[in-house]
Amino acid sequence: MPKTITEHNLRLLIDSLLKDRFRVVGPRLAGAMALYEPLAKGEELVLDQLPRRSAKEVFFPVCENILSFERTEAGLQVTDVDLSAMSETVLVGVRPCDAAAVPVLDEVFSWDYKDEFFLERRRKTTIIGMACTKSDDACFCSAVGLSPGETKGSDLFLTPLLGGGYGCQVLTDKGQQLLARYPKLFVDTVDARLAPLAGGTGDRLDLKRIKAWLDDNFESPLWNDIAERCAGCGACAFLCPACHCFDINDEGTTELGHRRKHWDACGFGKFTNHASGHNPRDLQNKRYRNRIMHKFKYYDDKFGQTLCTGCGRCIRHCPVGIDIAAILREIESRSQ
Amino acid sequence: MCSNSNNIYLPHLATIEAITDETPDVRTFKLVFQDEQVRDSFTFRSGQFAEYSAFGAGEATFCIASSPTRTGYIECCFRAVGRVTEALRALEVGDTVGVRGPYGNSFPIEEFYGKNLVFVAGGIALPPLRTAIWNCLDQRDRFGDITIVYGARTEADLVYKRELADWEERGDVNLVKTVDPGGNGAGWDGKVGFVPNILAEAAPSAVNTIALVCGPPIMIKFTLPVLEKLGFTDEAIYTTLENRMKCGVGKCGRCNVGNVYVCKDGPVFTARQVQAMPQEF
Repeated sequence: MPKTITEHNLRLLIDSLLKDRFRVVGPRLAGAMALYEPLAKGEELVLDQLPRRSAKEVFFPVCENILSFERTEAGLQVTDVDLSAMSETVLVGVRPCDAAAVPVLDEVFSWDYKDEFFLERRRKTTIIGMACTKSDDACFCSAVGLSPGETKGSDLFLTPLLGGGYGCQVLTDKGQQLLARYPKLFVDTVDARLAPLAGGTGDRLDLKRIKAWLDDNFESPLWNDIAERCAGCGACAFLCPACHCFDINDEGTTELGHRRKHWDACGFGKFTNHASGHNPRDLQNKRYRNRIMHKFKYYDDKFGQTLCTGCGRCIRHCPVGIDIAAILREIESRSQ
Repeated sequence: MCSNSNNIYLPHLATIEAITDETPDVRTFKLVFQDEQVRDSFTFRSGQFAEYSAFGAGEATFCIASSPTRTGYIECCFRAVGRVTEALRALEVGDTVGVRGPYGNSFPIEEFYGKNLVFVAGGIALPPLRTAIWNCLDQRDRFGDITIVYGARTEADLVYKRELADWEERGDVNLVKTVDPGGNGAGWDGKVGFVPNILAEAAPSAVNTIALVCGPPIMIKFTLPVLEKLGFTDEAIYTTLENRMKCGVGKCGRCNVGNVYVCKDGPVFTARQVQAMPQEF
C-alpha cells in the first residue's frame, strides 16, 4: 500500500529529526531568495521555490578547510580535519534536478583518489527529493533526459497529491531507515491521487547526437558565436548543481592559517594560466567551449554521464542572456 | 601529522636540507621527509610530479627532479614567479614545506633498456628530464648511446651547471650544450644556436633510439619536425605537458587538454598521443 505524508507531518518530521540531533537542510528563505540551508524548525521549509543555488553545497561547500597549520616552537604543525565530526544530515525538499546531480558528482569525487570531504557527507546524508508541479521558462530537465518526477539521487521521493500531502516512494535502504524511524508520520493510503507534474520542461534532446558533434568539432565558429557575449563571470558554474571545479588556497600567515578548497570556474581568465604567462585557454571562446565539452563530452567519455541536469539556473541568472538549452538545440541541429 | 589520514589533500612534511641556486631566479630544494615511515616508504618514478606547499601561501606543482635511484630525499626545482614560488624562495635550510604526491604517470624507463637515448631540453624544462637522465646513468650498462642536447637563452639561464660539467666529463655521455645567439659570454665553450638547429646538427641516429623532449612549447614545436626528419617515429618520442594544476588527482578540472587529464593521464605522453590531442596546450 503506498505511503503518504501530510504537509503538517512533513514539517513534524523535520522537527523530530532535529530533536533526534540530525542536521536538517532544506529550502529556506534567506532574505529574498530560497537557499538550501540548515533548518531550525519544520515551519521554515519552503515548498514552492527552486532555491537560488543548487544543493551541491551540502556535499561540496563553497569553501571549506582541508587542513590547518601553525608554526610552534616544536616546528610546523599541520592538523587534519576531523571528518568523523560531520553530522548525520537529512536533506529535504530537494528538487529532482538537484538530487540527480549528486550521483553524477559521486563519479569524479570517488574515482581513483577518494575525496572524503565529499564522500563522508554523502555517506551521512539522506536525500528526500520532491517532484515539481511547476516550472518556468528556463527549466529544461526533460531535455537532458530527466523529468519533474525524476527520482535519481533521492533516497525517499515525495510527489504532491491532489488535495494536499505527498505520496512517498522509498528508493534506497537509507530512505527505508528514515521511514522506519518515524512510522507514525507516514500513513498508508489506498486512493492517493498524484497531482499533475510540471510541464514545459523541454523536449528531449538527443545527447548522443550532441556528443557526436562535439567529438568532431573542437574547432568550430560556433564557439566564437556563443562566447562573444560571455562576460566570464562564472555565475553559471557557481549556480550549477554539477559544476565542481575548485581551487586550493592558503589563508592566514606563515605562522597560522588554513588551507581551503573552494569553488572555481573554468570561465575565469586565470583558471588555466601558467606561471610563465602562457595560457592554454587564453580566450573566452576557448573557456566556454571547455564548459560545454566538459558537460556533454569529457564527463561522458570518462564516466558515462552528463554533467547537466537541466535545472536552468545558468539560463535564469546569466547576466548576458546565454542560454545553454538553446546552444544544445543548435548543436543538435548541426549534428547529422 | 596523521599518516593514516584519508584526507587526500594532506601533505607530508619535509625539511629543506639543502638549497642550490641554479640561476638568479631558479632554485633547487633538497627535501627530506620528516616522518621516518614516509622517508622509508616514499617511492616514485621518473616523470611523476608533486604538489609542494609553502604554508601560508599555498601549493605549486613541479616534477620530482631527483632520480628514484637516489633514495632518502627528493629534489624539486622552481622559478620564483608567483605567490607560492616566491614564498618557497623565502624559505631557508631547515624550514618545512609540504609535499603531496607522487602523482601522474612516468617515463617507461624499463621499456628503454637496450636502446640509445636522446634527451632534448630547453631552459627550466631540464628538471623533468634530469630525473630520467640520472635514473639511466645510474644503470648505465642497460642503455646504448646517451646524447643530451640542452640549451637556454643565455649561459646564466642554464640549470644544473655542475651536473652539465659532470656529464661533459663522463666518457659515456654525449652532452651538446648550447645558448641562443647572443646568450654566450666570452668563455663559453658550447654551441651557439637554438635547440632544434643544434639537435639537427648533432644528428643522433634514430635507429633503436628513444627521444625524450622537454621545453617551452615553441621549442617542442620546432624540435618535433627535426626528430621526424632524423627518422624518429611518434611512438619513439616522449615529452611532458606542464599544465596548471591544483588538486593533482583528477578532480579540480583545470589541467585537461580536451578529455585528457594531464595530472592523471600524463604528464608523460608520446608525440603520437600529443598529436591526437586538440590544440589546447
